[in-house]
Amino acid sequence: MKFSFKILLCSIMIMAAAFGIGGYFFINYVFETSLDREIEQAMNESSILRFAFETAALNIPSKYAVLQDSTIREIGLNLENSGEGRLLRISDEDRVMVYESEGFAEGEELLSKIQEQTRAYQVIEQNGSYYIQTGTLLNAMDRILYLETMKDVTAVFEERAQGFSVYRRLTLIMLFSCSVAMFFISSWLTRPIRQLTRAAREMTRGDYSYRAEQISQDEMGQLTRDFNRMAGALEENIHKLEREVRAREDFIAAFSHELKTPLTAIIGYADLLRSRKLDEEQHFLSANYIYTEGKRLETMSLRLLDIIVTKRYELDARMFDAAVLFDYLRDMYAEREDIRLICEYQESRVRGEADLLKTVLLNLVDNAYKASEPGSRVEVHGERTGEGYLFSVRDYGAGIPQEEQEKITEAFYMVDKSRSRSRNGAELGLALCTEILKLHGSALQIESRVGEGSCFRFLLPWEEVKDSEQKAD
Amino acid sequence: MIKILIVDDEKPICDLIHIHLSAAGYHCESVQDGLSAIDRIERENFDLILLDIMLPGADGFDIMEYIRPLQIPVIFITAKNDVRDKVRGLKLGAEDYLVKPFDMVELAARIEVVLRRFHKTESVLQAGDVTVDLEARKVTRAGQPVVLTNKEYGLLVLFIQNKNVALFKEKLYEKVWEDEYIADSRTLELHVQRLRRKMGWENNLVAVYKVGYRLEI
Repeated sequence: MKFSFKILLCSIMIMAAAFGIGGYFFINYVFETSLDREIEQAMNESSILRFAFETAALNIPSKYAVLQDSTIREIGLNLENSGEGRLLRISDEDRVMVYESEGFAEGEELLSKIQEQTRAYQVIEQNGSYYIQTGTLLNAMDRILYLETMKDVTAVFEERAQGFSVYRRLTLIMLFSCSVAMFFISSWLTRPIRQLTRAAREMTRGDYSYRAEQISQDEMGQLTRDFNRMAGALEENIHKLEREVRAREDFIAAFSHELKTPLTAIIGYADLLRSRKLDEEQHFLSANYIYTEGKRLETMSLRLLDIIVTKRYELDARMFDAAVLFDYLRDMYAEREDIRLICEYQESRVRGEADLLKTVLLNLVDNAYKASEPGSRVEVHGERTGEGYLFSVRDYGAGIPQEEQEKITEAFYMVDKSRSRSRNGAELGLALCTEILKLHGSALQIESRVGEGSCFRFLLPWEEVKDSEQKAD
Repeated sequence: MIKILIVDDEKPICDLIHIHLSAAGYHCESVQDGLSAIDRIERENFDLILLDIMLPGADGFDIMEYIRPLQIPVIFITAKNDVRDKVRGLKLGAEDYLVKPFDMVELAARIEVVLRRFHKTESVLQAGDVTVDLEARKVTRAGQPVVLTNKEYGLLVLFIQNKNVALFKEKLYEKVWEDEYIADSRTLELHVQRLRRKMGWENNLVAVYKVGYRLEI
């Protein structure tokens, strides 16, 4: 059953019970007050009649010392006729009826209850009408008589019945209108739930960007907010995964492309050597190409292996002098005449694995030279900052266009889409640097302008970055 | 002489194609980037262009736009084995599309077909006193017509197109029979022997030890 329907049903049930019980008590209360009033009136009337009887008895010329039954009947008749709809019964000392109006109730139940100084009454039903029957004792001329009266109170009972029927109709109308109102209220209250259901379904169907509309600020609103936040996190994760898959596909496509070119050359030249008689120059050329293209494949596969190994590597970070790195770079490039390497650095201890950092710097310097004209300057700086030791490698070469800068660290990505051979597998270098720096809790920052050169920076933090913090990014 | 322009940014590939095509009797030129390719195409006349797609400067598709009005046949040679690229290349008006790594004999054959389609090449091959009319599919030896089976004819054309080149048994078999070569099969040997007798090439069509055959003329 729908939740809003449950709310509706429950509230209808509660309303019906409340209306019913409340109405019943109210109408009964009204009825009882009216009845009490009627009883009081009946009692008063009874007193008046008693008084009137006693007065009338006194006024009768006393032929006899004792009141005669006929006289009683006479007075009774007079009393009955003096008021409209008056019914009375008079009985003698032995509770034997002396005078009785027509239509007076039968039975002597009340009569037996009448005592001296007490007045009795009862409500009786007779032929579909309701009466209040009262009884009292009266003294007239040494006789003790019982006077009973009857007062018609059918109207009070009819009023009650009518009250019930009106109220029943009213209750139905109220229940109906309340139900209609409740229906709207319950569906309004459950709207956030329906929104959430819809959002969950849309997401199941694959639309991860769908969000539930936030309607209220209450607990439902909180739930919606939390749900949307969760959906956002999910969407982000999925996009991240998709990007990773795409990156992997791109990588495989690029890798197979990178493989094919040297393979074509190697197979082609080998075939040339085995099937033709070549002159010496061609022979050398072919053998040389096979060698250099083979080397290119080798470099590529080694670099690739480095990247894969680095991805799973456990860093063995130690403190060492930054000077070690710069000395190493100087040694490496000391014999190259076409290269002017300028190292400037502040002495400091840094944290990291020296061999890996050497690889990073070597790759960056190598790339810097590839991007520059022969003989131009490449500067390597090291400086202490608040957060860590900042390395930067600057060249004054071709520069990298803005839109390429993000992709440049992807394996096999190259700024020049031709994938020119002169780079000789170096395209994997930056991807390797990125992996190594990730191990150190650092990242490569690229600042470059086309025609002016590029600057690659990375910050080696002083403190070891906690795992949890790394995950938090 | 047929002039062919090779456009590929990989020098080894350019040189490789150059060596092969020169040996097959074509005049070849090669350039390594898109812009100089366009330069050369504008200044000189070529009968055929072998075009790589990924090039520095301007890519193969861009260059194709320049070539189209000139009506020069183009064969794409590329490492991109992507159906969309293939369709795009062919829609731009390329005659053929070869994916690296490709076989040089294959390339030579494709070039031959394209050139013949454009009537740029002689449809008559000559080797000694043997003449092969590719269009009429007619073979004559010293003026006398020779009757050859389909396979013999295929072999003959391959040998004449690759004069003085050692052709491997598996390559011959794959080209002519269009099937995988079975090492111990004597089918090829029998056909070569019959061809030798029919053409009078007992001394010209020599067996190369452990390799295959070579037509020496």
